[in-house]
Amino acid sequence: MKKNRKLFILLEAFLAVLVIAAVLIMLWGKNGKDRYKVSVIIQNSDDNQWAAFKYGLRMAAEDKGIEMFVVSTGGALTVEEEKSAIEWEIDNGADAVIVQPVPSPDAEEMLKKIENKVPVMLVGYTASGNKDASRLPATGPDNYAMGAALAEELLKDYNGNIKGKTLGILTETTDSPAAVSREKGFTDTLKDTGVEISWSVSGVFDGNEEDSPGNQPKVDFVIALDDNSLTTAGSYSAANNLHGALVYGIGNSTEAVYYLDMGFAECLVVPDEFNVGYQSLTEIWEKLGHYFSSLQDITVSHTVLRRDTLFLKENQEILFTMSQ
Amino acid sequence: MKNKYFSRLKRLKPRGIQSTIMFAFSVISISIILLLGSVLYFRFSAISRQEIIQSTQKLMEQAGESLENYLVSMRQISDAVYYNVIKENDLSSQDQNIQRGMNLLYEANRDNLRSIAIYNNYGSLMAAEPVASQKEDPNVTRQDWYKQAMDEMENMHFSTPHIQNLFNDSTQRYYWVISLSRVVELTDNGDTHLGVLLVDMDYTSISRMMKQINALNNGQYYYLCDSNGEIIYHRQQIQISKGICNENSGIAANYKDGIYDETFEGEQRKVIVDTISYTGWKLVGVIPYSAFTHGMINIRYSIVALVLLMVLMLVVINRIVSVRVSSPIMKLNNSVMKYEAGEKPEIYIGGTLEIRHLAHSIQSSYEQIDTLMRKIVLEQNERRKSELDALQSQINPHFLYNTLESITWMVEGERNDEASFMISQLAKLFRISLSKGRTIISVKDELQHAQSYMNIQKIRYKNTFSVEYDVDQCVYSYCTVKLILQPILENAINYGVSSMDDCGEIKVTGRLKADNIILSVTDNGIGMSEEEVSLILTDSSRVQKHGSGVGLINVNNRIQILFGKEYGLIIESEPDKGTSVSICIPAVPYNEENRKILEKGHIFSKEEMIDKKQL
Repeated sequence: MKKNRKLFILLEAFLAVLVIAAVLIMLWGKNGKDRYKVSVIIQNSDDNQWAAFKYGLRMAAEDKGIEMFVVSTGGALTVEEEKSAIEWEIDNGADAVIVQPVPSPDAEEMLKKIENKVPVMLVGYTASGNKDASRLPATGPDNYAMGAALAEELLKDYNGNIKGKTLGILTETTDSPAAVSREKGFTDTLKDTGVEISWSVSGVFDGNEEDSPGNQPKVDFVIALDDNSLTTAGSYSAANNLHGALVYGIGNSTEAVYYLDMGFAECLVVPDEFNVGYQSLTEIWEKLGHYFSSLQDITVSHTVLRRDTLFLKENQEILFTMSQ
Repeated sequence: MKNKYFSRLKRLKPRGIQSTIMFAFSVISISIILLLGSVLYFRFSAISRQEIIQSTQKLMEQAGESLENYLVSMRQISDAVYYNVIKENDLSSQDQNIQRGMNLLYEANRDNLRSIAIYNNYGSLMAAEPVASQKEDPNVTRQDWYKQAMDEMENMHFSTPHIQNLFNDSTQRYYWVISLSRVVELTDNGDTHLGVLLVDMDYTSISRMMKQINALNNGQYYYLCDSNGEIIYHRQQIQISKGICNENSGIAANYKDGIYDETFEGEQRKVIVDTISYTGWKLVGVIPYSAFTHGMINIRYSIVALVLLMVLMLVVINRIVSVRVSSPIMKLNNSVMKYEAGEKPEIYIGGTLEIRHLAHSIQSSYEQIDTLMRKIVLEQNERRKSELDALQSQINPHFLYNTLESITWMVEGERNDEASFMISQLAKLFRISLSKGRTIISVKDELQHAQSYMNIQKIRYKNTFSVEYDVDQCVYSYCTVKLILQPILENAINYGVSSMDDCGEIKVTGRLKADNIILSVTDNGIGMSEEEVSLILTDSSRVQKHGSGVGLINVNNRIQILFGKEYGLIIESEPDKGTSVSICIPAVPYNEENRKILEKGHIFSKEEMIDKKQL
């Protein structure tokens, strides 16, 4: 009798627990699962060059059900500014951050500390400059290969014979590991071709600065190794301020494409920024879903655009992502 | 192996009535609830699935209509430009009219339009709205929309989305458009020649419509493709083109309008296809099977919670019912068990009518058993007492003393023959009294015993009474209880004839009447009143005034113990006339077998008596 009563009480308790569990699961289902929050901190976030990247982020966020937020930054950030922006986002509930590192020796350490709190994925390039030495994962194009591809396109145009030609190199910054890699890839490929690098300037030019490309000695080619430099070179070329130099460059904005389309640039190497955004967020999502997995470096492809191939079907999609 | 499971099952089998009722009720009710829950869920699931499909179809019909209306409006713009502007004006002389007409139409539809342009048969731009500078060499004749128009002149052609590659946009932007192109007849200086009218529709208009219907976040989505499966809109358009994911648009393009089941990349899904008229585009709605369950998860948990709650309550109800049903039975069982254990509890009477009846039956059975047991014990006691009394009567010391004293006197008076006769009668008396310890003897021996006794008593009472024996010889060979005549004769002497002077008569008769033997002792003594007669066999407290002390009650009891209640003594008496005491016993032939049976306490039935006689 007592045994029966004990069994009855146990059975009732077990059933009650199941009922409560089912109701809780139901309520939890109604409230909806918390979506992962990922913040993206890139420099000069409103710049047109990020259009494809942001579209990639948006698509990944839709596909994976992530709440993604791109922090609005007016221009270039310092390490401190970037740090406070990341911490602000973490304090506001970000589960992970995607960061374009500030080209500074302190960036790596700062980001490493952040990584102890939340997963960090770098975009564009690694923080340390030396990819192999970097301890933080990064998603971006192979900058060295892009520089090399640009050089190969130049050689292709002249059947490999550019001996005696001169060129000037234009970069936005020399601190950026991306710029360093691209220049190295470019110069390594042109080594022993007899081409002479007349000048190499870096900075953002929007007028008649003393060291602006227009004030540089006449060269046969101007090599722009980033989007800003390419649009600068394109605008100088459009204004006939490059002394007839042909522009070859790396870029990922519709402006850059426009200068190619209008004939102010000869060749454009476009990194797959859509995939940078898409893959970086997907990788973060996988990391958030699997606590013990680790973030991996991801290298995306790049495409060489010429004026005559610009509107091929496959290339139109690059323009589509840039136009979003 | 089977035995092993059976033994396990046996061990699991509930033993108590409460457990059995509870288990049976619970199994049945839970099974019914589970069945009902499952049926409810599957029914609900089917209805929900049907509703999702129907709502998807409805949504697609509406979206299809919106798309068709949009495309029709584009065609109407094209028609208006062609029939109201181009055909009405000459390109060279009335270019202002053409530009004005195109501007009017463009401004009226600028939300949906990117541009309107007219090209001649060499691909040269004749007019465009909004006015924009053409690119240096857009290579119009090699663009798809131009080629399509020229290839099939009679039709209007909708292209797939593409980047507009015609004008130099000073904002350095590129536009994603869908081109509607057709061949037109241009009038230039009075000459008619062919050209192509291009209406570039803003892709965002279509993508906006598609985004609106793709707002659901349950895995269900819609896409638009042309008749070749080329995707026009897909929410994952770039991912598909980059190979990150895939779409079965090539197959869907070949479907006619309707609902299809397909498995794509291992995922089962329902595909609903609606064709957009004129263009041949297919609006495809995809409902993965997971989307059906997505909306059902909460309902599933609700049903599970409901079923569990019902099971929880049913277990309680079953428990209450089983306790209520089994409680009276268990209480009854407990009281019976206590009874069996030797206690004397009150038998529980309660619960339903049937259980009450059962309890009453058990109680009355136990009461009857108790009564019978008491009766048996009483009978046994009486039997023992009777036998003891009989034993005592065998050696009644007073009788023996008197007899021996009489013999002494006879010897002293030298009446040796009489003394010898008396001694021999006494010897016979004791021989029969003892009878080797037997209780059952033949009627002949009993009569012999009575005769010996009476012979002794006659001598003692100096023949003051006479004794007559009238016994049929046929009764000699039947069984009787020993020493039953002697107490009657003793009474007849003591109470009947002892006080009479030489006229006392005692008559002993023996008859076989209707399977019974009747032995009667009749005296002509003082007799008794009816009240006294009635008390002789009932009032055991009466004290014997005379004789051996073995009363008629004792004789009557002994007869009834050995032969049954229907036998015994019959006393008839009248004051001053005499008394007749008759012994009525069954006619059981005297033999060793019957004697032993009777002595063991077995009472013969009538049928057995008859059988015995026949033997």
